[in-house]
Amino acid sequence: MKKKFRGIEPYLWILPSVLLMAVFIVIPIGFVFRMSFSKISKAGLIKGFCGFDNFHKVLNSPVFSMVLKNTIVWTVAVVGLSTLLGFILAIILNNEFKGRKIARAVVVFPWATTLIVQASIWKFIIDTDYGTLNTLLMKLGIIDHAINWTPTAGAYFAWEIACGIFVTIPFVTFTVLSGLQSIDEGFYEAATVDGANYWQKMFQITIPLVRPSLTVSTVLNIIYVFNSFPIIWTITKGDPANRTDTLVTYLYKLAFYNGKQGDAAAVSVIGFLILFICASIYMVSVLKKGDD
Amino acid sequence: MEHTKSNKKIVSRIFLYLVVIIICLITLYPYFVTICTALKSRAEIFSTSGTVFPIHAIWSNLIDVWSRAPMASYMRNSILIAGGSTLLAMLCGIPAAYALSRMKFKGQTAFLGFVIVSQMFAPVVLLIGIYKVMMSLHLTNSIVGLIFINAAFNQAFAIWLLRGTFMSISSEMEQAATIDGCNRIQALIKILLPVAAPGIVTALIFVFINAWNEYTVALTLISTDTFKPLTVGINIFNGYNMIEWQYLFAASLYAIVPVVILFVGIEKNLVGGLTSGGVKG
Amino acid sequence: MKKVLTAGAAMAMVLSMASMGAMAEDTVDVNVIAAQYGQNTADWWAQFVEDFNADNPGINLNVEVVSWNDIYTVVNTRIANGEAPDVLNIDVFADYQADDLLLPIQDVVSEETYSKMYDAFLDQSEVDGTVWAIPDLASARALYYNKDILEAAGVEVPTTWDELTAACEAIKAYDDSIYPWGIDMTTDEGQAAFAYYTWNNGGGFVDDEGNWTLNSPENVEAIEYAISLVNAGYTNSDPANDTRYDLQDMFGAGKIAMVIAPNSLPTYIADGGNEVNYGVASIPSNTGESVSAGVMDRFMCFDNDYTDEEKAAITTFFDYFYDDARYTDWVAMEGFLPATKTGGEALAAADPDMASWIDILASCKFYPTAKAEWADVKQGVISAEQNALLGESVQEQLDNLQAEIAG
Repeated sequence: MKKKFRGIEPYLWILPSVLLMAVFIVIPIGFVFRMSFSKISKAGLIKGFCGFDNFHKVLNSPVFSMVLKNTIVWTVAVVGLSTLLGFILAIILNNEFKGRKIARAVVVFPWATTLIVQASIWKFIIDTDYGTLNTLLMKLGIIDHAINWTPTAGAYFAWEIACGIFVTIPFVTFTVLSGLQSIDEGFYEAATVDGANYWQKMFQITIPLVRPSLTVSTVLNIIYVFNSFPIIWTITKGDPANRTDTLVTYLYKLAFYNGKQGDAAAVSVIGFLILFICASIYMVSVLKKGDD
Repeated sequence: MEHTKSNKKIVSRIFLYLVVIIICLITLYPYFVTICTALKSRAEIFSTSGTVFPIHAIWSNLIDVWSRAPMASYMRNSILIAGGSTLLAMLCGIPAAYALSRMKFKGQTAFLGFVIVSQMFAPVVLLIGIYKVMMSLHLTNSIVGLIFINAAFNQAFAIWLLRGTFMSISSEMEQAATIDGCNRIQALIKILLPVAAPGIVTALIFVFINAWNEYTVALTLISTDTFKPLTVGINIFNGYNMIEWQYLFAASLYAIVPVVILFVGIEKNLVGGLTSGGVKG
Repeated sequence: MKKVLTAGAAMAMVLSMASMGAMAEDTVDVNVIAAQYGQNTADWWAQFVEDFNADNPGINLNVEVVSWNDIYTVVNTRIANGEAPDVLNIDVFADYQADDLLLPIQDVVSEETYSKMYDAFLDQSEVDGTVWAIPDLASARALYYNKDILEAAGVEVPTTWDELTAACEAIKAYDDSIYPWGIDMTTDEGQAAFAYYTWNNGGGFVDDEGNWTLNSPENVEAIEYAISLVNAGYTNSDPANDTRYDLQDMFGAGKIAMVIAPNSLPTYIADGGNEVNYGVASIPSNTGESVSAGVMDRFMCFDNDYTDEEKAAITTFFDYFYDDARYTDWVAMEGFLPATKTGGEALAAADPDMASWIDILASCKFYPTAKAEWADVKQGVISAEQNALLGESVQEQLDNLQAEIAG
């Protein structure tokens, strides 16, 4: 009896979590797959199976490759830079200094703000005509007339990426901070006795020990950023002419502005496959390294 | 020799403070803008001769938002949703992470992979399916429904982070406690959780903030004003004829307060929770 | 742990109480989703619901007010799940009609209320000889100009495109920190720009038979003209991202000299605390005949297999809403124009400005929203405009769009 319980015990421990995700995530995902293979009317009613028609339509659309490219640039830039900057910030905040508590609370701010509001504020700051950045710089005497901070679609996209980095840094910082907390001081003391300098300690102790928590948070970060919607939607809605669209804003327009929910579902399945492949490669390579 | 060393120390100290101050200034700049805008009239916000500080600070804007919209009710709903989601996410996530770090079973890796894969669709994409599930459970237009959704969407981070934290903690003390007659649940609560506080606090903050800021699902599920959270509720200032920036920004300032209070309250657990307990090398 | 459990139990109790909501007894429910026009909309509806439910004890009316940013998301999610509201207040109806989701509006609107509507408005909601929606309000567009700037620059109010170009040049020469002309080609409302220029060049979305004519020579010329104004530096710096709100606020602040805007602009500027010495004129035209653009929103009724009782409740709702006193209050609340004859007469009698707007409305053209392809056309012309702003050929863009829409 006891042995039998031992066998099923782990499954009882994970059961609540499995149930939660199965009901509220897996079933809706199944529905997306079904929609991606269905003909759907503009009002959103399913009118039967249509094979790969939606995928064909989406992949043949001239804007799709541009949107995909944007998505990759967006994800790589936001995740890469926010991981780097967030890591540095965590190292800084891990020092003992007066006011550390305040500094840590301040760093939480961008995270504690709803993304839509955060993005609205940024839109407000960089606006050419009434933006506060121009006003501030003019008052400080740094510039003498309003600068157009967003002369091209590329400039807009760069600002959106900056905003994305700004709101993602706290997430990385606190993940790293919690990892740093669990490093035994003894390692550093031993290294100091051995005559290691700051950078040697950084690369030989800190980074290897923080890496496990950073690996997972980076994978999740890639997923969250890839699927991030509010920043781009609030600042440009993908304008002009899809130049700043990512897959998510693009499919949102397809689904809710153009009444093409089948196409939108197909786009999200494609996005999922891309993420799935990338994440699998990344995880496998990282886990392999970990085993060596 | 001694002298230069302490000089060097002072310089690096000053440098540290400088960096921290610059980071804080950059981080706070958008909030400075928010506050200033919240105190301006719309005419001043868009005036040709832009101002940094409001010329006539309209302090009443900060009070008016409470009567222009049922802010108190929005705030209460947000706290219920975020608090409930955090609690539920932890109640499901901690046991799962415990099993993953302390037991060996078939399908362990598959489960870990499944947890990640479950995150790969944006909630925006899943709206229609989520609504369908909620309809069959009679949880549309209900705070409980939002708690389930937010808890589910935050399982991945909670489980992975907690699993990592638990694995970095040696199981020797729990084993000793088991010999002393504790069962697994007691060992988990009495021995492991206190030691794992930094990881738990990080997961807690993460889930709370995500649930606090969730927008799209709440928007489609909630149909009456009484159950709207802040994120959806403050949309009242974002109309077809006009966007009332001053109120929108004033309301969003209030929205930050509970999160910062929560953070400051539990921040000390982020530091030094690991003074006791063996750390695996 | 015990503490946590008690806290959890307490929370669960509070929540289950919170989720129960109002339980109806022997009443008929009527569920309405309404668009949020402005700051006052939600309050107005709340008062309406209170009055209605007090006056009609057998009916339980529930009105959900949703912002324009989100209304399509909310409505389409519900409809895809078979949870359509009973009555919907939104701008378009053709997609719902195409899926047989709607009832002919005369099934649920009393003859008396129906006869109040302007016929021209009802025509806009007709498909296959049946009217599927009734208008709740309208707005019309005209040219607003800053009198002080035009006077200082020494220009007359332009009526033709040549005069417009000349006026822009003069204003630019007078003060180059002012944008002479405002253009909005955003995803928000870029289709309006398409209408302003093509309609005033003898073109448009459709021909007299209702066939799509998106790449007609008149349209190409019109859009090329609009883009030329942008390229010459006569407009706001970023037409693909400056929404009508931005333009209206900049007009209010004296940063834009001329802009095409809805009749609610003066209210908008006054509410914001700005004072501008403005005038109103016809939209400049290249054909000698100025065409104004009208925008109209609607009520439609979804076919949710009603009992006679429920149908009667919906009829009561419409009668109550279009009651003359209540209806004029509704229209005036956010500065819109009435869609009923009785409302029009009442408002025109009270306010001469309103009377001239109601005249403009009578000669307005409307978007072809009754056509099934409208959603695609709307996004298509916006995309074409934005591509043209980026330097692509207008002809090519509109040719592609026409080919995609009309096959």
